[in-house]
Amino acid sequence: MDKKIFVFLGFFISSVVVLIIAGSAPLTILPAPAKLLLLLVSMALDILAFSSRYYTYLLLPFMQQRSSNIVLSNEDAYWLSTASDSVIRKDGEDYIATVYIRIPVYRSATEMSDDEKLDFSRRVSRLVGISKSPARYTAELHMMNKDYYIQQLRDTISKVENEEVQLVQNNGSPGDIERVRGKLAMWHNILDHIGGVQSFELTHYATVSARGAKEYEAVSIAQQDARELLSGIGSTFGVTPSIVTGKELLNYIEPEYLIPFSTISEQISKNVQEEVI
Amino acid sequence: MYLAFCGLVIVVALSSLGSMGGGAYSLIGAVFILVALGVLLVMNWADFVIFPLVTNLLGVSFQPAKDYRIVKTQDAVVKNVNGLFYATGYVTANVFAYTFKAEQQQQDQELKAVQAPETWERAVMNIGFPFKYHVLSAGLDVQKVRDELEGKRSFQEFQLSRAMQAQNVNEMTVTEIQRKINVLQTKIARIGEGEKPIATIMYFETTAVGVSEKAALDLLSAQIKQLEVAMSGMDVQLARIVGRELYTLFQFNFSLPTTYEEAATNFDIQS
Repeated sequence: MDKKIFVFLGFFISSVVVLIIAGSAPLTILPAPAKLLLLLVSMALDILAFSSRYYTYLLLPFMQQRSSNIVLSNEDAYWLSTASDSVIRKDGEDYIATVYIRIPVYRSATEMSDDEKLDFSRRVSRLVGISKSPARYTAELHMMNKDYYIQQLRDTISKVENEEVQLVQNNGSPGDIERVRGKLAMWHNILDHIGGVQSFELTHYATVSARGAKEYEAVSIAQQDARELLSGIGSTFGVTPSIVTGKELLNYIEPEYLIPFSTISEQISKNVQEEVI
Repeated sequence: MYLAFCGLVIVVALSSLGSMGGGAYSLIGAVFILVALGVLLVMNWADFVIFPLVTNLLGVSFQPAKDYRIVKTQDAVVKNVNGLFYATGYVTANVFAYTFKAEQQQQDQELKAVQAPETWERAVMNIGFPFKYHVLSAGLDVQKVRDELEGKRSFQEFQLSRAMQAQNVNEMTVTEIQRKINVLQTKIARIGEGEKPIATIMYFETTAVGVSEKAALDLLSAQIKQLEVAMSGMDVQLARIVGRELYTLFQFNFSLPTTYEEAATNFDIQS
């Protein structure tokens, strides 16, 4: 039976018992102030019993820990399957595997006629109704990770700087030195532009989960469900969706992948500047 | 069921007031009982008001998983990554015009469907921060939904006939009942045309980053306001999610409900 019911019954029965004591005990044994106190306790227990309807997950840890930061779980929120194609978490005795499906939609409304726009909207409506079991469809706007590109630009700049130094030391022709300096200015401009502008990427994906008594069972069912969803999405949109694997999965799960490290320093300094102004 | 049982305790408590010997004590007892009744009723229909109030008052925050923290106002999940704070908030986003709630003419719906892709693109272009728009859907049993809708329509038709037979026919009431019947009729007709009934939960998720928790939370609130402005062009109802639903949506990042019933129990108020 659900743990929720036990918690509810515990508080409810306690509330009733306290109320019976308050109501049935004669005033000679239990004076009116004590009865009032018991009534208050009974009402509090009654409210707690009702709260267990939604807040069982909090009530017990709250009572056990009695601290200002209640730890519901100290474990990682998930882990990846061995094939790195599913996200797994434990729920009670069961395992839940979740598969992410990338939907490559590159069409823009600006290049569609009215009929095509209507058709597109209908396809989206149809997409949402594909799966009988719960599935989630997401449009995600995230900042592009430009770490690698910025590093490449910095490497190029230091290479061109070395080239300039060598030319100056070896008394190279003024024309060559000018050309290298021009090249250096160009790469610096590109780096400034790339570092100063936030680039966003809009991606679409679907998510489906399955429950299993064993980890491999949950993964297997989730992958099966995902394959069914893949064919549904493919036929509805005329695109080739794919199951997301490896590190790319983190783009859809972890908040720090929405705003990669390269853009943070720039964003924070911008915020600080705005605050100062 | 919960309300009935807990309400029973209230009734018993009221009847036991006499055992306090009357006077001031009985009066104070009655006040306690009425306050408890009020709390129960608010908890039943708007627990998202009481719960953040209590946690905010007690200064209690929760750790739903390693490195994550649900703040005491219950409206954001904060992740600490090497001293940087990522605050994530959720906003409901029920798109009415494109769901069963619509009762407009077919032509009006088509116009909205034509405009939707462009309106969406324009809204996205105006947003300068990361966000996710989620539509969680689950298919429903066609026959069950149809029977339910027909039952509701029959009830409304009965109400309409009663309203029409009244001595002073109230035009407002009649129009309202007719509107309800039209909505139900539209839903039944759409199922008849082969459209599959689905249950959906639609919501936005946005993340802000800051060097302190407060900075991240302030930026998150600003982003949510901007999101509301950007989406004002779409026929969408936005409301910031607080309390237990925030915890549920946080869990959806790692696993979804596997059955419709599981999803419905988490969002009985929204659905």
